[in-house]
Amino acid sequence: MTRFWTRDFLIALGLCVLLLAAPLVTRNESVFFLLSLIVIWSIFALAFDFCFGRGGILSFGHAAFFALGAYGYTWATMDLGLGFGAGLAMAILCGAVFAVIVGLVGQRVTGLYFALLTLMLAQLLAIIMVTRLRRFTGGDDGIAGVPRPMFGGIDFFETVNFFWLIAAILLAVVVTMHVLNRSPLGQAIAGLKQNEERARQIGFNTARLRLAVLSISGAYSGLAGALLGALLMYVSPQLLSWKVSGDVLIMALLGGTGTLAGPILGVTLFELLKEVLSSYTEYWYGILGITFILCTIFLPKGVVSLLLGRDKSR
Amino acid sequence: MTTSTAISCAGVSVFFDDFRALNKVSIDVKAGQVVALIGPNGAGKTTLLNALSGRLPQTTGRIMLGGTDISRVPVHRRAAMGLGRSFQIINIFPEMTVRENLRLGAQPHKFRFQPFWRDVSGWRDLDEKACAVAEEVELTDVLDTPAAMLSHGRQRAVELGLSLMSDPSVLLLDEPLAGVGQAEIDQTVALIERVRHGRTVLLVEHNMDVVMNISDEIIVMINGEILMRGTAAEVQADPRVREAYLGSGDRDA
Repeated sequence: MTRFWTRDFLIALGLCVLLLAAPLVTRNESVFFLLSLIVIWSIFALAFDFCFGRGGILSFGHAAFFALGAYGYTWATMDLGLGFGAGLAMAILCGAVFAVIVGLVGQRVTGLYFALLTLMLAQLLAIIMVTRLRRFTGGDDGIAGVPRPMFGGIDFFETVNFFWLIAAILLAVVVTMHVLNRSPLGQAIAGLKQNEERARQIGFNTARLRLAVLSISGAYSGLAGALLGALLMYVSPQLLSWKVSGDVLIMALLGGTGTLAGPILGVTLFELLKEVLSSYTEYWYGILGITFILCTIFLPKGVVSLLLGRDKSR
Repeated sequence: MTTSTAISCAGVSVFFDDFRALNKVSIDVKAGQVVALIGPNGAGKTTLLNALSGRLPQTTGRIMLGGTDISRVPVHRRAAMGLGRSFQIINIFPEMTVRENLRLGAQPHKFRFQPFWRDVSGWRDLDEKACAVAEEVELTDVLDTPAAMLSHGRQRAVELGLSLMSDPSVLLLDEPLAGVGQAEIDQTVALIERVRHGRTVLLVEHNMDVVMNISDEIIVMINGEILMRGTAAEVQADPRVREAYLGSGDRDA
């Protein structure tokens, strides 16, 4: 806490720089598609881990914030004709607002019960969006033609250009989260995780702190969702699946929670394994599962612990 | 010394289903006093502290802090109003250093409107406050040590320090000597003697020697009710107190 340049932060920055430098090595389209997925899911995993690793709030429903971000961006750009920036703002707002709603509904429950509540609310949202709100969501078919940004005369339909943009956004996410974690609010959130009762007893309104954690996490999740919509140029209720919530949890745990580098590493490992294994066998998810189990046994603090070592201050 | 009432409660009961943990308890503590709550296990001492600090909602009754009714005020607001408390089980932020613990303790009270992006170590006032309290509870030499690595007695000091960060006028201490080794008891007692200056202290403690020494008054509780109240000499002389202790076979001293 005394140093600004913690090892964790430096590793996370290093990973961002490596990603940003990738176009210097290759120009292969499919490689960039994979790297783009890694970047976007990294933002999502960081958002999830802000809730779980920093605030100590477990959620099985983060898909809802992610998907609402994607839909929010789609509505803003396609229906309202707004630009890329405004679309992202809308996505952030949608994610944050739904997170606050979840937080308010779950005000009286904590731990696993809260996690189950998030799952329930996310599933409820999925059902409503597919059946009742078909006019806005395109139902099961989803919405195609989600726009990519247009500014500065740069062609963002070029995969490499879009990749550079989102990698820069990931870098911004890492930096803002690091600053946030070191801020008074970040410290209060750390206190909330380590000892909620004590935090309350020294004068923190812990109910409001929990809402702050959820809304920040929801906002970043919404941002990630919007970027995925723009990458695929398509949004569908698939984004709302409980599998999305499960994947992001596995990614964060695999990499190492409560860190910045961990979620990015976790996503990278997950996506690479998926890419490699799925070309050999259709049972790739099972092998991934075994890898995950082995990691939780031998590296309980995630892959990142190999790099952080015993450095207590991170 | 002023004679106004610092904290009081009237007719406070706490029921857990049918069990009456506290039954219409009324106490008042004058400003500047040190009052000890004693009694056998299960007498309701900690329950009373929980009701006063807001951790447990009382079933009936009224709680006053100074001249303000705080019966319905949530825990964190009571803390802000000058009611500090420590816990029987060490209740600190284990992964943080002593400095970070104390700084966090000052945060809700010192800075209402803070730009979120400002690095917390840049808040000079917070740090000064943390250092001042660290000096008061003698933790200056371990400021940058993670709290979890300290001895039990020194974690007690962190616990006490955390309770002091809000500049409380009233301190509720729940067994401040619980688990403290013999060697560190004198230090901890000296600590309590020091922090009582300018404050009102209500403490629960089993160590009778300490209780008799530092309290102005003693309240004896049994079965959720108050048995008697008096000075150390009066309590020691009272046959009912002896019976309560001997009868239950519980005398941790």
